[in-house]
Amino acid sequence: MVLRRKFVAPVEAVADGWRINLDTEERNLLIRLMSELQALVTGPDDNELLRRLFPVAYPDDDEKEEEYQRLMREELVASRLSAIESVTRTIDPANARVLLDEGETIAFMQSTNAIRLVLGSMLGITDDESADAADDTDSPEHHLYDFLSWLLEWTVRSLSPT
Amino acid sequence: MTSASYRPVSPEDQRQLASSRHTGAVPTTLEPTEVIDPDLADDVAIDRPWVVLVWNDPVNLMSYVTYVFQKLFGFSLERATELMLDVHEKGRAVVASCGREEAEMHVFRLHEHSLWATMEHDGPSS
Repeated sequence: MVLRRKFVAPVEAVADGWRINLDTEERNLLIRLMSELQALVTGPDDNELLRRLFPVAYPDDDEKEEEYQRLMREELVASRLSAIESVTRTIDPANARVLLDEGETIAFMQSTNAIRLVLGSMLGITDDESADAADDTDSPEHHLYDFLSWLLEWTVRSLSPT
Repeated sequence: MTSASYRPVSPEDQRQLASSRHTGAVPTTLEPTEVIDPDLADDVAIDRPWVVLVWNDPVNLMSYVTYVFQKLFGFSLERATELMLDVHEKGRAVVASCGREEAEMHVFRLHEHSLWATMEHDGPSS
């Protein structure tokens, strides 16, 4: 691929929006991952993989924490689902969307990162040592994690004020 | 940057000093004849703001954390980078100090971006 075409950033800011330069295979992979994330977010609350997506707000006060979660958890679920829906719609290869607006690009960034966090939990990345170990591990999941990190890095770059 | 690695520090390490919530009686006269004094602990808790903390974690990228700080708090790149490095090197950083409702809003928006944010009463130990 490198020999066939000049390197193109996977996400780039252009004059009137953000362009996603991913091929059909990559788009379909992301859409599958979004669907898995959606199932996870709408599934049982106590799934250990959700811990990083729904953090504790009041670690020192159970009463306030319970009140906070009662009021806000549903809203956070809705926010995540709305971002997932946006990504699924905007990167659909059959739909061939050319440009994303800022909100859609941010949804893309948030959801890509949410999947990285779930994968990080699955791969046992809990501290610097396990993160370093993961860097040197060769498995499909680790490659996927690296792919998402690369995608996120470029998305952040495209959104950052210059 | 994919190896940008944060060392986790447990929020459980932090103790909140007071948990009392202001019940907010507003005096309507200059010479109140009957005033129920809140106890001292309440009084102190009322005056102290809440702080929003962001904790180190080994997954979120440094560039991403810096961008989220800029976006949510309007920090300059320099300030956002400084706070991100505090999180990375010291294990956590205070990103806002404000009233409880505003702090909850900040925590919610940080959670939307999957950053590990918590809030607690500001105090001598934090």
